[in-house]
Amino acid sequence: MELGDDMNEKFAKFKTGKYFGFIALIVMAVLFWAFFKILTPKNFGSGELIISYLQTSIQYAVGGCGFYFIVVMGLFDMSVGANIVLSSLVGVLLSRQYGYWGLILGCIITGTLIGCFNGFLYSKIKIPSMIVTIGLMLILESVANYVVALDASSFPGKLTSDSILAFSRAPWNYIVAVSAFMLLAFILRYTKIGTYCNAIGSNEYVAKSMGINVEKYKRVGFILLHLFLGVMALLTVSYGRGMLAVTGMASMDRNFKPLMGTFFGVAFKKYGCPVSAVVVGEFIITIIFNGLVALNVPTTINDFITGAVLLTIVTLTNRGALGTVVK
Amino acid sequence: MGEVVLRSENINKHFGITHAVQNVSLSFEKGEIHGLIGENGSGKSTYCNMLCGIYSISSGRFLLDGQELKVKTQVDANRSGVSIIVQETGTLSGLTVAENIFLGNESRFMHGGIKNTAAMNKEAQDLLDKYGFGRIKAPVMIDHYNFEDRKLVEIVKATYFNPKVVVVDETTTALNQSGREALFQHMNRIRNEGNTVIFISHNLSEVIEHTDRISILRDGELIDTVKSSEVTTDDLKRLMVGRELGGRYYRTDFGEPISDEVVLTVENVTVPGEIEDVSIQLHRGEILGIGGLSECGMHEVGKAIFGASYGRKGKVTLSNGTAVNSIPKAIKHSIAYASKDRDNEAVIIADSIRDNICLPSLNDLSTGKILKHSKLDKFAQENADRISVKMTGISQYVSNLSGGNKQKVVLARWLGKNSDILVLDSPTRGIDVKVKADIYALMGELKKQGKSIIMISEEIPELLGMADRILVMKDGKVNGEYVRNPKLGEEDLIAKMI
Amino acid sequence: MPEQSTLEKKKKNPTWLWNLTPLEKNNLTWLRNLTPLFGMIIIIAVFAFLTEGNIILPKNLKLMLSQAYVMMIASMGVFFIMTAGGLDFSQGSILGLSSIIFCWVSKTNILLAILAAIVTGAAMGAINGLFHVKFKIASFIVTICTMYLFRGLCEYFTTNGPIAASIQVVALNLTWLKLLLTGVVLLGGFLAFRYTRLGADIRAIGAGETAARYSGSRPDLTKFLIYVAAGAITGFASFINVVKVGAITGTAGSQLETQIMLALVLGGLPVSGGAKARFSNIVVGTITYCVLAVSLPMVLPDSATQQLVRGITFLIVVALTIDRKSLRVIK
Repeated sequence: MELGDDMNEKFAKFKTGKYFGFIALIVMAVLFWAFFKILTPKNFGSGELIISYLQTSIQYAVGGCGFYFIVVMGLFDMSVGANIVLSSLVGVLLSRQYGYWGLILGCIITGTLIGCFNGFLYSKIKIPSMIVTIGLMLILESVANYVVALDASSFPGKLTSDSILAFSRAPWNYIVAVSAFMLLAFILRYTKIGTYCNAIGSNEYVAKSMGINVEKYKRVGFILLHLFLGVMALLTVSYGRGMLAVTGMASMDRNFKPLMGTFFGVAFKKYGCPVSAVVVGEFIITIIFNGLVALNVPTTINDFITGAVLLTIVTLTNRGALGTVVK
Repeated sequence: MGEVVLRSENINKHFGITHAVQNVSLSFEKGEIHGLIGENGSGKSTYCNMLCGIYSISSGRFLLDGQELKVKTQVDANRSGVSIIVQETGTLSGLTVAENIFLGNESRFMHGGIKNTAAMNKEAQDLLDKYGFGRIKAPVMIDHYNFEDRKLVEIVKATYFNPKVVVVDETTTALNQSGREALFQHMNRIRNEGNTVIFISHNLSEVIEHTDRISILRDGELIDTVKSSEVTTDDLKRLMVGRELGGRYYRTDFGEPISDEVVLTVENVTVPGEIEDVSIQLHRGEILGIGGLSECGMHEVGKAIFGASYGRKGKVTLSNGTAVNSIPKAIKHSIAYASKDRDNEAVIIADSIRDNICLPSLNDLSTGKILKHSKLDKFAQENADRISVKMTGISQYVSNLSGGNKQKVVLARWLGKNSDILVLDSPTRGIDVKVKADIYALMGELKKQGKSIIMISEEIPELLGMADRILVMKDGKVNGEYVRNPKLGEEDLIAKMI
Repeated sequence: MPEQSTLEKKKKNPTWLWNLTPLEKNNLTWLRNLTPLFGMIIIIAVFAFLTEGNIILPKNLKLMLSQAYVMMIASMGVFFIMTAGGLDFSQGSILGLSSIIFCWVSKTNILLAILAAIVTGAAMGAINGLFHVKFKIASFIVTICTMYLFRGLCEYFTTNGPIAASIQVVALNLTWLKLLLTGVVLLGGFLAFRYTRLGADIRAIGAGETAARYSGSRPDLTKFLIYVAAGAITGFASFINVVKVGAITGTAGSQLETQIMLALVLGGLPVSGGAKARFSNIVVGTITYCVLAVSLPMVLPDSATQQLVRGITFLIVVALTIDRKSLRVIK
């Protein structure tokens, strides 16, 4: 019947559009919320709590946005957490003398410099990105310790005065986060970078023969990743009222929340709405974590949940095809 | 005679010792559709790939409108006015249709580093509409479209900027009827606008129908250029073949009877997307050749027999009734396989000759579960010497060997395993004459020992020279069967391939 | 005569070292194989000098050794995985959880406890193997996830405080016993790697998985087995671990996985595995790592600087030892 065919065609067209993806994400968020709300109505999901989930999730979403470029190209970076630590501490250090400007510029510029360094090293040494960034993680963590040692204030690494904590709450945290999201959306939509990163991830060899400078764009990917991480550091250090320098790869723990959002973004890439996917995805992750806490699942099991959730997301979104060699 | 737009002067291409294109000097006129035909390995795709910047030129040059063409990438070639629609997938997943069309050429839409996506999408859609492909939408991710539609997008991508020369490389096989008509429509339009199309195809009647002139390549050399209106498909076939059989290498016997004993039965084997309902019987002491065009599925048959195919239906059984379903089982039951993709599937490049030779035979070489290294060394040395692998020692890494010696390592391994059935896919591809002769001699010797060989090859002379029986495949099915006899010629085989 | 001219050529051309013929290169591989050993000796010498002979005092040697047992055994399992081209970040958590299981069961019977620890380790390894082989997820992601998963369980079980083993266990903290067990396990692994088909398969899979498959290796099965084996081996190592420390806290074994990776790399194992992997990488690497771990704090008292040195050393060694030929595209 004509009418039926027409509707089918319209639905098929709708299915490929970005609205479909976005709506699917919202539906998923609502479902997860409803799931936990039903199980523990008192501790979870009230209006205030939802606002707090949102505020928590946007910091990871900013990191997730940056990670997008790298993951899309098939690369990886283990030094994400180390960057957050180092950028935060530089920001704190500079804020002692230069106030907000020190904090903001310290975080963001440090992030960007780290990105340049990572990208350069990766290009020069020609080792798989995952391995080289393990070494970088060790180095960055050490440097972070030196930075803390330079902080001569009475609470090294901490932001104690309320006059510097504007980014720990509305409206400034939202302004920073939304600016970051818009930056990602802008880059993807209005520059060649998004297209080329997608092309490289799709088939590096063909991309090269199309004249794309693969090495250059991989470096650009690292710079962008760490730039966004610098922004995330600004939020993280404000939320946490300071930052702790660590050693022994403890910073790796900070890698994974942003990464989960990135996986959402990559999974929804084909619907054309990666930015929304990262943001809503992180929100969903935050709901899951908070929901489990509300259910009185012991906090010591936090790591277990991180591992389980990440494993599930990866299994659902990133499986290798039949016959490919996966290492 | 029309005006010449593109000319090649003594173009040569070497891949290692293979001289793929030999001194081809050819000219193409403005406002013509010029067919380029030849068998597998005749050099037509290689020639066009050099034109379009996909391969580098070994020597010689191309002159476009009198100016030398120096291109390093496809995008360079496009900017000079030359483009190609490739045989495989030329679009990238993860990008929109518009992004694919303008990949590498976005500068038109860039102002101060900012890409005007809306303008890009609009122009892409206008182009798609103009080409009659309006149902494909520019801002949609190309992943949502099937292979056919993606090819149509490639047509737009390769021709929207009015290139002077467009190469259409075997594209018609990928398209259905309406797609093909659309393609020819645009080829005609390009011709009528005064530009040139180089049309590569194996469908000879299609070539005659849609081209103005046809050039024939054979073994990398230009044979002739003819007017399409003045030839028939038979004429073309004759021009495509017609070489001397060059006797020293191949077998000189004819009419020797083949044993009736069936050692391997392939029944109704289907691999979705590759081969359909293939049934074969291999006899003891027989050399069975399988030939066809490169995409006819013959390579997959080899994999299917060896148990290496994914999703294979049907049965492959040995004379004692054992079904072969996996590679370890095939090897255990004396089947050997030498893949066409030598570097990835046949030899382990980053490993020693010794490891490569011993690997399939490890179970046989172990006493209990233990392997003694002296035994392995001896085994490897013996078999490498048996076939005269040119090496510095069995600890040498295979990556340092020439193509011919790599192939010898592969054969040495199966000789060591003493396999009764050998499936050899393109055994002499890219190998120099001396080693080729060695390999043919080896095959003759194995045949005398009562071993059975399946030889899959894209080189017709090889099949005619060595096989007792030849199966010709086309579009995934067996299309013809010939028995060895001195009167059998290339035209007979080609007739069944195309 | 050709020989002479080659010699003359070498004398004239200072870069002859970079332009060796394949035959010359072949004959020098024995030299390349000994490089990690030389490295180890040099490092010991350097630190002996820097600490004015302190590190070769018996008490420090004993300290190094005591760290080495668990690490060496657990490294053996990871060695197999890395030789086949994979990675494993979950070994530390596996050690922790197996140690906890051991402690619990040790209250009943020590031998049974050892068995239980091995089985637990094997089960965890099987989970790794399953997700990697069946669902075709990259090994580093799978094992990072399971690292968190198992560690979470460790933390959960130790919520109310460290878990102690039975008293008899601590009595087993004897150097000769630990040396013997370590030696036996390593010997077993060595024999399996060098003299059975399994070792040949693992190296072939690491060097070229597709071609290995076409030569009769079974990559899926082999990879699954080595993950299980690595888990089981670490499960056994947890016995020695508990014997040494007596009680397990929630952070038991944390960072063991990266220490193992550093150790193996220092021992000369190419990070992508393959045919150049040698069993000696385990021993040389672990010893080098333990020497560094004990010596660095003496020379550089500040842990951040120690880590900086470790990070830089890691990058340099990996860059020098990686087998770039077996990686088609570097991602």
